[in-house]
Amino acid sequence: MSEAAATTARIKRLIVDSLNLEGVRPEMIEDEAPLFGEGLGLDSVDALELVVALEKEFGIRIKSQEIGREVFSSVSTLSQFIEGRT
Amino acid sequence: MQPDQPDRRVAVTGVGAVCGLGWGIPPLWAGLRAGQPGIGPFQRFDHSQHRTHLAAEVEAPPATLARVCPGWRRLSIADRFALFAALEAVETAGLATPFDQDDREEAGIGVYFGSSTGGMYESELFFAEFLRDPRRARLSALIPQQVNAPGDAVARHLGVTGPVATYSSACASGALALGAALAAVRSGEVEVAIAGGSDSLCQLTYAGFNSLRSVDEVPCRPFRAERAGMSFGEGAAVLVLEPLERALARGAEPLAVLAGAGASCDAHHMTAPDPSGAGAAAALEAALADAGLAAGTIDFVNVHGTGTPLNDAAEWQALRRVFGERAGGMPLVATKALIGHLLGCSGAIEAVATVLCLRHGELHPVRWDGAADPELPVALVLDDPLPLAGARAAVSTSLAFGGSNAALVFSRWMGPAA
Repeated sequence: MSEAAATTARIKRLIVDSLNLEGVRPEMIEDEAPLFGEGLGLDSVDALELVVALEKEFGIRIKSQEIGREVFSSVSTLSQFIEGRT
Repeated sequence: MQPDQPDRRVAVTGVGAVCGLGWGIPPLWAGLRAGQPGIGPFQRFDHSQHRTHLAAEVEAPPATLARVCPGWRRLSIADRFALFAALEAVETAGLATPFDQDDREEAGIGVYFGSSTGGMYESELFFAEFLRDPRRARLSALIPQQVNAPGDAVARHLGVTGPVATYSSACASGALALGAALAAVRSGEVEVAIAGGSDSLCQLTYAGFNSLRSVDEVPCRPFRAERAGMSFGEGAAVLVLEPLERALARGAEPLAVLAGAGASCDAHHMTAPDPSGAGAAAALEAALADAGLAAGTIDFVNVHGTGTPLNDAAEWQALRRVFGERAGGMPLVATKALIGHLLGCSGAIEAVATVLCLRHGELHPVRWDGAADPELPVALVLDDPLPLAGARAAVSTSLAFGGSNAALVFSRWMGPAA
C-alpha cells in the first residue's frame, strides 16, 4: 500500500472510531464522497472531534482557521492536508 | 362556573412515559395496576462497591426509535427517554410534528422540562475512559451532559420555537416544570406546553444517596414500619397542556384538567425535610388555592412517599395539616414503590400516574408484606386497584431533597356539560 493509501485508510478508520458511527465500516467510505452535510452527514461537532482524533493520530496541530470546507470536504482532501503536514 | 365567563381551565390532552415498567403508557398503567415493583437487579454500571444493588432500570429502547430521531448517536440515555415520552404525548394529543415554525399558532408552543442530572451518566463514562486512555475518550459524550439537554432535545426534535426552559430542583423539578407550563398556558405566553421530565441512572446519584444511607436494600416501602430508604428509578414523562377551550375546539379529548400548582421551601436543612411538614403543607395549600378548590374536594393523594424514615413521617404531618380529620382515611397512592424515585422526572411521571388514575376511575395499588407504621396511620392503596370512579380531584406532591416542595392539583375531566 502506498503511503497516501495508508493515510487514507487510517483517516477512514479514525472517522468510524472517533465519531461512533454505528453500521459504518471504513471501507464503505469513498475517498471523494462529501463528509459534511450530505454523504456521511457529519456536523460541526463531528468536525471538532475529528480534529482532536487527527491531531492525536498523526501528531500534528491543526489551527482553528484550518478547519474549513476545503480541507475537510472529503477523505481525499483530508489525506492531502495530512500528507502535507507530516 | 359562571355561564357567561370563559372557561380558563387547562387540559392535559396527551401523556407519554418510559420507566422501569416499560416503554410507553400501556406498560406503565398495566404495571401500576398490578402493583408489582419494577425494582430489581440492574446492569447499567458496577454497583458492587455500594451498600445497595437495586434500581428500576429501563430496558433497551425499541429499535424503531433510533430511526426516527436524527442525531441519535449523540443523545444521552436521558435525552432518548425524553424524546420517546414527548413523541408519545404529542401523538396522544393528536398534534402533528414537527411543528410548523411559520404557522402563527404552532409557533406558540413551549417546552418546560425537569431534570436533575441530564447526561451525567455519559460524562461518567467519558471520565472513566479518559483516565484509562485520554486518546480514546470521545469529547462528544460530554455535550449532552447539561441538565437542559433532554428538554432541548425534545424542543429541537419537535420543532418548538416558543420558550424552552429546564427546571432543576432535585425531586421537585418535574412538578415545578409542570407548574411553570400551567402558568405559561394560562397567561397566553404559549398556546400549548410540552411539559415533563427525564433522568437516567448515574453513578453520581447512586453513590450520593448511598453515602447518605438514604437507600433501602430492598424495594422501598413507603409509610411502612420497616421502611429504610428510597429506591432508584429512571425514565421520562411528558404531558401536553393546552387551554381546555382550545382542546375542545379542535376535537381533542381532555384526559384531565391541571387545576392548580403550588410551591414552597422548607428552609430547614440541606438534605433532611422539615419534620413538622409545614413546608410541604404550604405547597399543598398553595396548589389548592391556585386551583380554587377546597381540601374537601380532594379524593386521593399521589404522595411523594420515597420510603425514607424522615420523608414519610414529615409528609404525614403535612397531610394532617391540610386534610385534618380526613388525612387518615385519604387514599394514598405510592407510585415510587413500583417505579422507584425518578428524581428530576418524578414529579412529571407521578403527575402522569395521577392523570391515569383519574382517567381510569381507579387508584393503583402497591403491595408488600410488612406492618403499617403506627405513627403514620395512613390509608395506602394496597394489593388491589381501588375503584374510585367518582373521584373529583387529586393532589400529587413532590418534596425535594434540599427543601423545595411542589404540589399539583388535577381534576377529573367530566365532559363538556360540566
